[in-house]
Amino acid sequence: MSEMIRIDDLVYQYRREDQLEPVNAVNHVSINIERGSFTAIIGKNGSGKSTLAKNINALLLPSGGAIYVKGFNTADETKLWEIRQTAGMVFQNPDNQLVSTIVEDDVAFGPENLGIDPDEIRQRVDDSLYAVNMYEERKKAPHLLSGGQKQRIAIAGVIAMRPECIILDEPTAMLDPHGRYEVMEIIEKLNREGITILLITHFMDEAARADRVIIMDQGEISLDGTPIEVFGHADEIKKLGLDVPFAVDMAHRLRKRGIEIPQNIIDSEELAEYIAEKVKKNHIAAAAKIPSHKDDPTITVREDPVIEVKNLTHVYSEGMPYESTALKEISFRIERGSFVGIIGHTGSGKSTLIQHLNGLLKPKSGSIFINGVDITAKDIPMREIRRKIGLVFQYPEYQLFEETVHKDVAFGPLNLGLSQEEADLRVKEAIELVGLNYEEIAQRSPFELSGGQKRRVAIAGVIAMKPQILILDEPTAGLDPKAHADILKMIEALHDRENISILLVSHNMGDIARLADKVLVMDRGSLALTGTPAEVFANAERLEALGLGLPPAAEMMKALKNRGVSVPQDTLTIDAAEEELSLLMKNNLIG
Amino acid sequence: MIRDITLGQYYPGESWIHRLDARIKIIWTFVYIISLFVVRDFRGYIPVLVTLALIIGISGVPLKFILKGLKPIFLIIVFTFTINMFMTKGIPLLSFGFLTITEEGLYNALFMGSRLVLLIIGSSLLTLATKPINLTDGIEKLLSPGQKIGIPAHELAMMMTIALRFIPTLLEETDKIMKAQMARGADFESGNLLNRAKSLIPLLVPLFISAFRIAQDLAMAMEARCYRGGSHRTRMNGMKLKKKDAAASVLIALYLVVIIAQAQGLFHWLIRFL
Repeated sequence: MSEMIRIDDLVYQYRREDQLEPVNAVNHVSINIERGSFTAIIGKNGSGKSTLAKNINALLLPSGGAIYVKGFNTADETKLWEIRQTAGMVFQNPDNQLVSTIVEDDVAFGPENLGIDPDEIRQRVDDSLYAVNMYEERKKAPHLLSGGQKQRIAIAGVIAMRPECIILDEPTAMLDPHGRYEVMEIIEKLNREGITILLITHFMDEAARADRVIIMDQGEISLDGTPIEVFGHADEIKKLGLDVPFAVDMAHRLRKRGIEIPQNIIDSEELAEYIAEKVKKNHIAAAAKIPSHKDDPTITVREDPVIEVKNLTHVYSEGMPYESTALKEISFRIERGSFVGIIGHTGSGKSTLIQHLNGLLKPKSGSIFINGVDITAKDIPMREIRRKIGLVFQYPEYQLFEETVHKDVAFGPLNLGLSQEEADLRVKEAIELVGLNYEEIAQRSPFELSGGQKRRVAIAGVIAMKPQILILDEPTAGLDPKAHADILKMIEALHDRENISILLVSHNMGDIARLADKVLVMDRGSLALTGTPAEVFANAERLEALGLGLPPAAEMMKALKNRGVSVPQDTLTIDAAEEELSLLMKNNLIG
Repeated sequence: MIRDITLGQYYPGESWIHRLDARIKIIWTFVYIISLFVVRDFRGYIPVLVTLALIIGISGVPLKFILKGLKPIFLIIVFTFTINMFMTKGIPLLSFGFLTITEEGLYNALFMGSRLVLLIIGSSLLTLATKPINLTDGIEKLLSPGQKIGIPAHELAMMMTIALRFIPTLLEETDKIMKAQMARGADFESGNLLNRAKSLIPLLVPLFISAFRIAQDLAMAMEARCYRGGSHRTRMNGMKLKKKDAAASVLIALYLVVIIAQAQGLFHWLIRFL
């Protein structure tokens, strides 16, 4: 294989306003990317991976060292357009990279800039749209498409320039699982057709699909090799604040318990295959069932609903030609102090539902009781509702607006009519509850914080209103694995220590299975399933039909069951699965 | 509320008018506007009305939809009407204290009012029956000879395209931020004018930041896709004039002749001559 990109001792420096010395965002990095390869780069936010990608596309120029794309030095201005055409780039935000109001015009944008003949452009646009399965939507306006579709259009826009290499900077970070699946399928297909892929991602299962994984930390390469080689260093990767794929983690845990698992296993199917083979060879009976805490009868005894929803129906644009029913006759109740997970694909009505609970939307019919009070009644002051129920929207950091963190967090309490002193107290308390240091952060501008910190400040702004119920809409979306875990830990603490009832909307089934004691599954405006995680995730086929998956642990158990190994199917967390599998394997070894 | 404004909106369709080249439609709109100022009396409106009715009929845009576009400028129409009615000197008809309505005033008011209504209906038809993207392309093409004297035709059209592309995105963003701040107890609806203006800060600051973030992302994405301004650029859908565009041009010329002839009293002369 020949060389597509050569990075020679790259240094990229930038100067932060508050610092005199420049910082090395990329610090003496050398990489060779082979033609036709599929390389994944992973690393925490701020590890320098995006900066690296922008350097390859000549959007940034090296402070030291050099980059060669197909032999062209990126610092050579005369070759700029050839470089950008050869190594196309797709960015994270699907909305902010489409230029035109019509899909096909957008795909044509690149070739038009290259001054290509109109007939040739037409041909390329059609080919590119077919390649990403979006030909049918070619006349639509981008804002009417889903995130996954927009991202595929962005990819088509790059393909239309006939690149030899595509660099994708977290292309799936803002997508739901279905959109992610669509985009990954396209990426793999393009790679099979010979296009070199450089994928920057936070999702380890995506990285595992590459043929080379590079891990970056603090501007330097800390690991580089095949997925099997790299994920073999599970402990090291976790120390860097990153994750490993589920099967790697599981294999690693089992090995620590003295069970032999081959090093080359990186996905759940492979692990299930290996275990099933071992177990069957020895005709070993299934492990004894470990009682899980989900069977604990005390959980079902409580009878103190904090939220009760009865026959809730909502219709958007009623009476207009594009009227649509977003919620249909929804009824459920939520016990005080519980932790409820809400799942459903995009457009299933989750957002509409949670906005009703906060009084932001009014139902067409039906009622919502909070602490026994019907909030759909006309004379209910909104302030009372919002005092009781906090709502954290997706990407809440986009709502920050004040000069200082303190002032921003105080916005809610002051709106509730509290005195300045009282609000100050609450602000301090809330900032500490979200795990930030008040003294350090209170007088800083929220805009100079890191992504994870901004999000915490935004959540503090809601917590400072001391809600009894906290609703969070995908609070970990777009964060790196470390920040993701930290935010969840914080939510758990709020639930356990402050006794706040939590409603968590998430696409991450593993998180839901681990944290929730009740799950609501939404589908096309109706409640498709409700129950404990064990009850809900027992309906694997139904969930799949709704475009939803299982928690990785349950996925693993199902894979084993499909291979004729009987294991309890209500094993939902990695800890429980570890117990089950080690028991199973140990019995196996004794036998 | 924003949805109520039909002025500047596009009404999807496949009519003859819809399919005309945008440049022809822009030129027609200009000719039409000029014609409204050439007309001197009510009789002159007859050819204007007939043409307008024909075009609306062919375009298939419902009349109700077009008239809705008058709503936001209703005040301006009333204002023009009133000013003309009271401020024209002539034979008094009615008088309330110091205000006097004259015969000429009433005539002027009606005449000016009709002109304004016709002006808005006619020009809103341009946007109703032309895809925004075609409109910007048309403007770019029409202005491109001006590039030699420094008119940035391509840049203007690009700015319009981007504005059109991001209006829905920013509206969505506004809605999201508004709801998020309302969830934090913000109140956008009550209080006096000063308080209401103040209450917009938590909405406007994040919105501006969003707009800048979008601009930054978009600029980077455009650069990565080899954008370097209007030079060297080709277009996939080059604008080619077709037969129907030629036919439309003839009709426009004919319209202009009729209007001028009417205004110059040439018809009377012709009738007498026959």
